Parts: sequence; C-alpha cells; structure tokens
Amino acid sequence: MKEFPVPVQTAEDPSVKKQSGNIFSNVFDELVRFAQSRSLFMLHYCTGCGAIELPPAMTSRFDMERLGIQPMVTPRQADILLITGYVSVKTLKRVILTYEQMNAPKYVIGICSCTVNGGMYWQSYATAKKLNDYMPVDLYIAGCMPRPEAVISGLRQLMEKIKIGEANSWQDYFKRYDYYLGNQQRLFGETWQTPTDIIGESKHYSLHTPETEGEHTRLLELHQRPLEPLEMRLGLSEKTEDR
Amino acid sequence: MNALDLLLLTSLGTVLFSVVFSASLTGRMLLTMLYAVQTVILFQIDAGTEMVSSFGFEIFNHALGLSFNGLSWFFALITLGSAFFAAWYGLNQQQKLLHVGLSANVFSMLVLLSAGDFLSLFIAWELVSWSGVLLMVLGKQESLVATLKYITYAIAGGMAVFAGIILIYSWTGSLAFNAVTENPLSLSQYGTLAILLIGGFSVKMALLPFHLWQAEAYALTSGPASVFLGAISARMGLFAIVITMMHVVDLKTLDSIFLIPELFTFRDFLIWVAALSIILPTYTALRQNDARLLLAWHGIGQGGYMMLGLLMYDQMGSAGGLLHVFNYASCQAILFMSVFSILHRTGTTNLNQLGGLVARMPLSFLAMLVGIIGLAGLPPMNGFVSKWLVYRSLLSDGMAIVFLASVIGTLGTILSVYKLMHNSFLGQLRVEHEHVKEAPWSMTVPMMLLAIIIFITGVMPGISLELVANAQSAIGLTPVDYHLGGVVSANSAISGDLDMIWVVLVLFSGFGIAAILFLSAGKSRRVHQLDNYAGGHFLNANNQYQYSDNFYAGLMHIIKPWYRYSFKWFEGAVVSFVNLAAVFSRSFFNQAHMLIWMLVVVTTVMAVAII
Repeated sequence: MKEFPVPVQTAEDPSVKKQSGNIFSNVFDELVRFAQSRSLFMLHYCTGCGAIELPPAMTSRFDMERLGIQPMVTPRQADILLITGYVSVKTLKRVILTYEQMNAPKYVIGICSCTVNGGMYWQSYATAKKLNDYMPVDLYIAGCMPRPEAVISGLRQLMEKIKIGEANSWQDYFKRYDYYLGNQQRLFGETWQTPTDIIGESKHYSLHTPETEGEHTRLLELHQRPLEPLEMRLGLSEKTEDR
Repeated sequence: MNALDLLLLTSLGTVLFSVVFSASLTGRMLLTMLYAVQTVILFQIDAGTEMVSSFGFEIFNHALGLSFNGLSWFFALITLGSAFFAAWYGLNQQQKLLHVGLSANVFSMLVLLSAGDFLSLFIAWELVSWSGVLLMVLGKQESLVATLKYITYAIAGGMAVFAGIILIYSWTGSLAFNAVTENPLSLSQYGTLAILLIGGFSVKMALLPFHLWQAEAYALTSGPASVFLGAISARMGLFAIVITMMHVVDLKTLDSIFLIPELFTFRDFLIWVAALSIILPTYTALRQNDARLLLAWHGIGQGGYMMLGLLMYDQMGSAGGLLHVFNYASCQAILFMSVFSILHRTGTTNLNQLGGLVARMPLSFLAMLVGIIGLAGLPPMNGFVSKWLVYRSLLSDGMAIVFLASVIGTLGTILSVYKLMHNSFLGQLRVEHEHVKEAPWSMTVPMMLLAIIIFITGVMPGISLELVANAQSAIGLTPVDYHLGGVVSANSAISGDLDMIWVVLVLFSGFGIAAILFLSAGKSRRVHQLDNYAGGHFLNANNQYQYSDNFYAGLMHIIKPWYRYSFKWFEGAVVSFVNLAAVFSRSFFNQAHMLIWMLVVVTTVMAVAII
C-alpha cells in the first residue's frame, strides 16, 4: 500500500508547547505516549453505511492490526470510539452513554460526511448534524464513504497526534461539560441524563474548571435520578420510560 | 489406659455431652472445644506405630480388639478436623439432632478407624452407616426421600459386606485381619470376596454405579451436617477398601483375576470404575442449578481420584490418593460453608436466583475462591499437589487413556466451579439481596481458618505429606520421599520433582508484576454496577445482564446425548424389579388359603432339602 504522507508536527511548530521540567519524566512520558499510540483498542459504533469500509480495513487487505489497532467489545477497555455514519437522535443518546463509559484517555473519530455536517441527511429531522456539538471529536475522516485507505490514513494521523501528546480533546469534555450538556439537553429535552457522573470524574482527573458546571448541570441535578436497582422479575419487564 | 482408650472415651463422652447440653450456646461452644480436645488426644498417639486399645471383648472364642495405626491416624485427624469446623460453623444452629448426630458420627467413625478385625469392622461399619442417617434427615421433606434412598443402598452394601465376612469366616475359620493372608484362598474365592467387600464398601464411597444416592443425601440437609458429610463421611468407604486391599485381596491378586482372559483384569476394571467415577459425576455436577447439589456431585467425582491413586499402589499414586482425602476434605468443607452461608443470608442456593453477592459477602467470596481453586486442583492451593501426584503416577505407569480421563474430569471441575462462583458471587446483584449482610462471625471465622489451612498445605505440602507417609508405611507401602515443599521422585529414570514453594514464588512474582502495573496506573475509580455497557442500552435492574440460566449451553448441546446413558436406568430397573416382586408376594399373601400354600411351599423345600 502506498504510504500517505503524515504531517508531523515538530517542536518548532507553535502549536506544540515547549516541554519543561525533569528530563527523565519527559522521557518516561514520551515512552508512555509511544506505547499508547501503538496499542489502540477500538470500539466501533457502526451507525451508518461507513461501517462497510471497516471490515476491509481491519482484515488482511489493509490490516489495521499491523498498526496496533484492533477491535474491542466494551467501552471500558477501549481507547477509540469510531462513529461510522449518520447519528440519529436516538442513536446519539447511546453514543454519548458509551462515550462517557470509556476510560480516559479516549479518542473519538467521526467517519463519513454525515458526522461532519449531516451529509445527505442534512434535511432530516431525526439526525444530529455535527457530532462535535455533543462530544469532542479528535479527527474527522470525510467522504461518502471514505475508502479504507482514508480510514487507515486517519488512524495514522491520530497515532501521530497521540505520540506527540496532542490528542487531548477528551479533556475538553470534562473542562467544558456544561457546554456539551447544554447541546445535549437542547436535543433530548431537559430530563436527559446518563448514569455516569461526569462532574465527579472531572474532579478525579483534576480537570474541573469553572466551565464544567453551569446552568445546564444545575438543570441536570434537578432531574437526576440516582441509579437504583429496580426489583428484578422474570419474564418480560414492564415498559420502562422510552428513551 | 493409653491414649487410644482416652480418645474413644472422650469421643463417647462427647456424644453424651451433646445429648444433654447441646440446647444452649455455651453447651455448643464446649462441644466444639471437645472436638479440639479429641484432636489434642489424637496427637498423643504416635502415628508411626500401632497402638492397641485395652478395650476388647470375646465373642465365640474370638477376641475382638481395637487398634490404631498410621492410616487410622490420618483418617481420624481429618474426621476430627471436619467435626471441629462443622461444629464451630453450626454454633448458631439450634437443632439438637444435628449436634448429637455429629458427635455420634465422629464416635462411630473413630471406632471404625480403630477396628482390629473383620467383626468389629462390620459392627463399626453399621454404626457409621446408621449414624449418617442422623445427619441426613435434618433438611426438609426432600432430605427424607434422599435418606430413605441412602438407607436402601446402605443396607444392600452392608449385607454384601456381611456376606463377604461370613465367607471369610467359613473359609478360614477366623475373623482376624490376618485370616486370609495366613490361609491363602483360590482365585475364584478371592474374586467373590473382592466383589462382595469392595462392592459393599464402594456404596459408601459412591463409586459407579452405586453413586446415585449420595448427592441429594449429603446436600439437602442442614449446613454443618453437609459440611461434615461432604468432607469425610464417604471416605470411610475408601478406608474400608484400603483395609480390604491390605488384608483380603491385595492388588497383585486383583491383577491376576482376569475378567477377559489375558486382557482385562479386576484391577483394570476397578481403575476404569474410578476413572468413570471422576468423569460422569463431575459432568452431572456441571448441569446442577443448586449450588449444594453441584458440590455434592463433585464429592462423588473427587472420590474417583482418591480411588485411582490408591489403585496405582505405587509410592506417588497412593500418596496422591491419600493426600487428596485430606485436601478434598478441606476444600469441600470450605465450599459447603460458603454455600450454606449464602443460604443462611439469602434463603436460596438456586444458582439462577443469585449473583453479585461479592459486594455484600466478601469473606464468603474469599472462602469460595480459595475452595474452588483447591477443588479444581490449581496452584497455590493444596488440591494441586494431590492431583499432581496422581497424574504423575498415571503417566509414569503409562496409563495415558486413564490420565486423559482424569484430565477431562478436572476440566469439568474447573468449568462447574467457575459456574458456581460466577452465578452466586459475581455478576449482577439482585434487588432482593441489596440489603444482605456478611455471614455471622461463627460462620466466617472457621471459613477463614480453613482457607489458611488450604493455602499453607498447598505451599508447604510436606506438612500433610508427613501424615500420608505414616499412613503409607502402615499399609505396607514405601512411604513417599517428601520434603517441606513437595516430593522427590524416587525413580531417577523419570525426572520431575515438585517443589511448591518455588511454584508459589513464581506465581506470586507474576501477581507482583501485575500489582506494580496496577498501582503505577494512578488511582482507580469505582462505578455503579448498573453503569455498564450493554450495546449502548440504558440499564436498570429490570434488564438482567447476568447470564446464569442454561450455563454452558454450547457444551451442553454437544454432551447432552451422553447423559442418556447415565446410571439412572440401572437404578430404575432394580426398582421396577423389586416392585414386581412386591406385587407377586402381595398377591401371594392376599390369597384366602395363604397358610395352606405356605405349608405346601415349606414342605416342598424341606422335602427337597432332605432328599
């Protein structure tokens, strides 16, 4: 396969911050980042037609695994969340739930034009147009649909970003949770909630900023129902609230 | 009066004490202490030599005596230990019959273990059989049915043993243990005795095909009773089989009785019975949905390993078989304790109705974890050592197929103990069990002590191998060459020693690396149990995401047809035959002139006898 040139950012690049402090810790950090970039577990949330390009990308023709990327079955162990097409409003709820369950550091890749701007579903009442309104997206791979080469190329870019310590957009979700929650509430209604305690997690990762909480998180607190196990019954469960 | 007399008297005194005082908590505490006292007295007896009790009586000019050797000592230690832990575990159980039954069992077992000749062996055998009933009837209605089944089997087995002993008496004119060794018999006589005695004793041991009674009888009763029965009761059958092999038909004789000429001897037959006793009950255990029955079926399966090891009759094999008695007793006791503490707190042992209890009962979980590692025979617990010895012996004897059978049995054990732990302690906590508490201290403390014993004798098997070596020299075998960490292979042609201290060091350094990785990754964060991934679904307790019903569906689909050939049909055929005979005899007795017919029959029989 022809190697696509990957833009490499160097220290002269103004977007890369000058490293400071202990040289050993810098070396160690680089080692950790290198290791992270070379062992990525990917949870692919195959929402639309873009999913059809993933099997060739993963299997022997293009072989994603030679880059250290392979599929994972649960979000708790996954590093990359791959959204491969349009996200309807109902799907977006699941995507956000899944995203919040992933452990940091976590990266989101939007594949296909639909995740960028709605694509051919732009006029649909039922789809979310811009994925990065609802969660920070590290990388978009545009196209309808992008070829496996494009997918691989995008993943290599992500790897490079991780290696130089640039893929930090997951921190944005904790730092500006109120903004993302606001967008989510506008779409899903004010009773929207997920089981994950994002504010608590932002404190856990020391990413709590003044923008983490705001009017939207206060609205969430008003409606938040704690996760309580309900009585378990055999047979069909009673109709739960339609989400 | 020597230490053995003191032991038997104390044991009898414990029975009387339990009859009077077991109603109060203090009385039950003292009762537990009395088992400890008996163990202390046991340690006064030198395991290396034979000790003869001063009790004894004469019947028909035959002196009956009681004596203790290394083998009895080994089994007595396990009996008293099981009784001690079971009594401690049952401190809060108010049923008087439980405590009386427990002490009566211990006493009768000690008498059996110290039997010095065939008649006292038979008397003690019946005592053990009947005192077992006291512990089996403690459950609900279902335990009564199981007990009746047990009584039927036990009477049949006891009668077979009795017939064997009568034959020994009529052929040799003596009831002493050395009667047969001093008056050699013919091969057919040896064969008859082997069938009667080993067959009769294997009913208690629950070897195939006499195993159908055991699981329900042992499992569906009160907790401490199950602990004791499961740990040691069936092994009395093993003890009696060892006595038979030692004094009546040794393995050389068994090896010269050909069932198929030049191909298949009686010993081969017994080896295959033992191998099938491992596989079939273990895979029956895999199907059980009741945790207690699952464990009890394993008890039958593990008996096969002991039998297999003893039938090898070499240094390593017999050491493995005997050591497995000890190791299995400790593991089975801790597993039954853990399961019954679940029953105590949640009211059910149905594996389809449990789950997630690790968050509520961590100590019971730990106990079960230690127990299943031991039962499955994995390091660093003690079950590994004894199974290793048995495997080792099978391999060095070139019995590849039997080895394969025992490995298949171990695979079934691992699968089913995983099912046991997964369905009860791991997974989703049920709402009904949200407020469940840890079992009381009287239950958790003996569990923890047993866990320590299992671990220590796993890391340092030399402790228990010393007892085994004494037992081996008592039955006339070369004792195993042991050290604190394991065994040394006597046969230098086949290398392969075992040093558990090294095994455990390597294992724990692996854990250490994992711990360093875990600790270097920063602090962890706890999440709610229902904050879980189910394909993006929003979960609440209405969504059961614990997979427990029809566990191992794929495997079951493959092996299901095999269960048709289980031994239920055999039992069913016997029952139908007895029913048919009962119908005939009833119609005979219901006739109008029954007495005349009886007279005719009796006269005919007498006439034939006279002619």
